[in-house]
Amino acid sequence: MNMENEQNFLDQMENLKVPDVDTTPHQQKIKITIMNAERSAALGVWLIAVPCFFLFCVIMYYAFHIKSSWFGAMYKLVTGLSKNPYIDFLAPVVLLILPMITIIINTLAITHVHYEKRTISQLKYSELNITVKIKWLNILLILISLTILLILLSFAMTENISIQN
Amino acid sequence: MEHRKDLSKVQINLNWFTRRGVFYWPVSIMGWFIMILAIAFAIYRFMAIDSQSHSVSDTLINFVFNLLLIGAAYAVIAYFTESKKNDHQ
Repeated sequence: MNMENEQNFLDQMENLKVPDVDTTPHQQKIKITIMNAERSAALGVWLIAVPCFFLFCVIMYYAFHIKSSWFGAMYKLVTGLSKNPYIDFLAPVVLLILPMITIIINTLAITHVHYEKRTISQLKYSELNITVKIKWLNILLILISLTILLILLSFAMTENISIQN
Repeated sequence: MEHRKDLSKVQINLNWFTRRGVFYWPVSIMGWFIMILAIAFAIYRFMAIDSQSHSVSDTLINFVFNLLLIGAAYAVIAYFTESKKNDHQ
């Protein structure tokens, strides 16, 4: 009797269904960004060259009080642009729109957004994954462009307030 | 609908320029034409600015500003017409 039980137990153990475990390594997901990082960085450098040059001249002129004709001429040039009716659009395009384009193209080049609806043990939930590639040149260009925009917007706001007062 | 689908698959790959770092070099006749046009326009602007300005700094500041604008326009054209070998990196 005892031997029979033992045999039954062994048969049960042998026929026991073991859960399958996938031993293959979890494949890494390919994260394709909307734009190419290197191409966006190359274009970004050219797009923010003019506002950087302008800000460099203005900072030298006002912050460090370098009253050189070189820096004064730059300021005169940009104020002169707004007086000419044919090219009055050039100053806002160069100083505001180009840094904005740089931010957009470089952000699209380093971020990957993935939205997924998941179900784990009857629990349904949505997941939004935002991945940022560490591409230093793109990040630097975004930061420089943000700085340019912040400086110009704060300048425009303070100028407006001082004129109203 | 099918026609629209086919159109969306069309990719324009002009291969006028190739990129080395942040600089774009022409690799086709159109590329060279655009580059020569940009250089000629820069020279023309320099002569125009020089004839109107009163000092060297006045000439240089105006010219550098114009040169950067021409460079930005050239880079935008080259960006859209460069050979796209290693996209999505």
